[in-house]
Amino acid sequence: MPREAEPSLNERQFVLQALQENLRLDSREADRYRPLEVTFGDEYGVAKVSLGKTRVLAKASAEVTVPYADRPLDGVFQIATELSPMASPSFEVNRPTETEVLLSRLLEKTVRRSGALDTESLCLVAGQKCWSVRVDVHVLSHDGNVIDASCFAVVAALRHFRKPDTSIEGGILTVYTPAEREPVPLGWLHSPFCVTWSYFGEEGEMALLDATRAEEQVRVGSCTISLNRHGEICQIAKLGGTPVEAVILLQCTAIALTKVKEFSAYLDKKLAEDIKRRDAGGRSAELTAENDR
Amino acid sequence: MEVDQQHPLVLPGDTIDPSLIPTHKKQPLRLGPGLRHIPPNAIIPTVAGQLIADHKKNSMWVEYNGGRYIPSPNDLVIGQIVRSAADLYYVNLTPYTSSATLPQLAFEGATKKTRPILAPGALIYARVTLANRHMDAELECVSGSTGKAEGLGPLTGGMAFDVSLGLARRLLMARSREEGGVEVLELLGGEGLAFETAVGRNGRVWVGSESTKTVIAVGRALRETDEGDLGVEQQRKLVKRLIREMR
Repeated sequence: MPREAEPSLNERQFVLQALQENLRLDSREADRYRPLEVTFGDEYGVAKVSLGKTRVLAKASAEVTVPYADRPLDGVFQIATELSPMASPSFEVNRPTETEVLLSRLLEKTVRRSGALDTESLCLVAGQKCWSVRVDVHVLSHDGNVIDASCFAVVAALRHFRKPDTSIEGGILTVYTPAEREPVPLGWLHSPFCVTWSYFGEEGEMALLDATRAEEQVRVGSCTISLNRHGEICQIAKLGGTPVEAVILLQCTAIALTKVKEFSAYLDKKLAEDIKRRDAGGRSAELTAENDR
Repeated sequence: MEVDQQHPLVLPGDTIDPSLIPTHKKQPLRLGPGLRHIPPNAIIPTVAGQLIADHKKNSMWVEYNGGRYIPSPNDLVIGQIVRSAADLYYVNLTPYTSSATLPQLAFEGATKKTRPILAPGALIYARVTLANRHMDAELECVSGSTGKAEGLGPLTGGMAFDVSLGLARRLLMARSREEGGVEVLELLGGEGLAFETAVGRNGRVWVGSESTKTVIAVGRALRETDEGDLGVEQQRKLVKRLIREMR
């Protein structure tokens, strides 16, 4: 298996020395993200997120299946991540690296376990039929901070997604095509986002947001905080690395909240723009069969 | 260079207009990168790019911005030491490819007792001496004819930046401003920044300076020139902006 290419000694030293002088290679401030951009596909549920040179594509899809026997009233929701050799030659197909396992685990905890998607609304016939929603995450290019970009892509794809409308009459389930009835959005409860801090220095006293690949390779530890814009924390993961002082972690969490508010506002704006773009004739309000929650 | 009748865009397998092939009474025709001679008398491009012919030297080649470096003799490259063996170093020219070899005695003034000791991860500036498709490339850090380093050897301090192969090639041209259309390094030097560079044909540029800020500014200038494919006028604007941001 190809090992990840190590940065040279010169690069290692220089990145750290520059950080000592409060400088980053791309002249960003410590708590600034690279330009974040999200574009939606022509199909519902396709979101492409780029964060500098890191690019992630997420696609949501839904199909009707049988619910799990122990949860007859819940739908099925799963997130599948894939780090292909396209992102970096050190990744191999069908052999998950530690990065990939951590990524899928963090997405699972952030989006699935925090109850962002209302799985009960996916139930069609109790114990017999339900929607199975699946999000596929593809990392297209890896230049650091894949976690934040992937989480944003998953949330964007799910909020953009529309599942086919259904009706039940006399025990017969009908799934309508988009031509018959306008597809309906998923039952969405809150939008969690990940914010990853990287720590540098002997005791992790320097904290950076949105580390690039070069910075990720020389960091001494990292901490991923997932929260929504109301400040409700879904999870905090500080997996190994140098211990970081509690005061620094508190500051990081406070800044993370402001970042998440920005993400939330940006995604809302982009989704509204997309709805406007699709609503060419201005008749989408009449076509929809959805009621206000 | 502008695409025109004289310098057309070619695709792999295209037929080349015979009028573009240079003719010379004495010198034989020399084919550069991206062209292949198929006996008896066909010349076809093997890559997509711009066909350039030099009538004085009776040579022609395809100019392209390839993504992958393939070593060829006499290229100046920046390599990264992977490990050392009994009498040679294994050097990586590009990540995830098989490494090149650098004899430990191929340094200026190196003898069996006084050879430079390089740790894994150290950067060196070297010349390719041997390269063919069946063997790993061989490097040297000393000129075979004079026995002097001539600027080659270990690179200490500084920072290595990745650029595209096309930009590295343009930077290495003897008249990089007129022929290659890159002026950023001269412009930055003209603004009073003190730095030294080493350009590797394998798409790496090493920048060394006393001041960290200068190195970062040079790195950003190179990266933005490369990614934005900036012309000379835009490079001037970029340098002015970078200098303003530094102050």
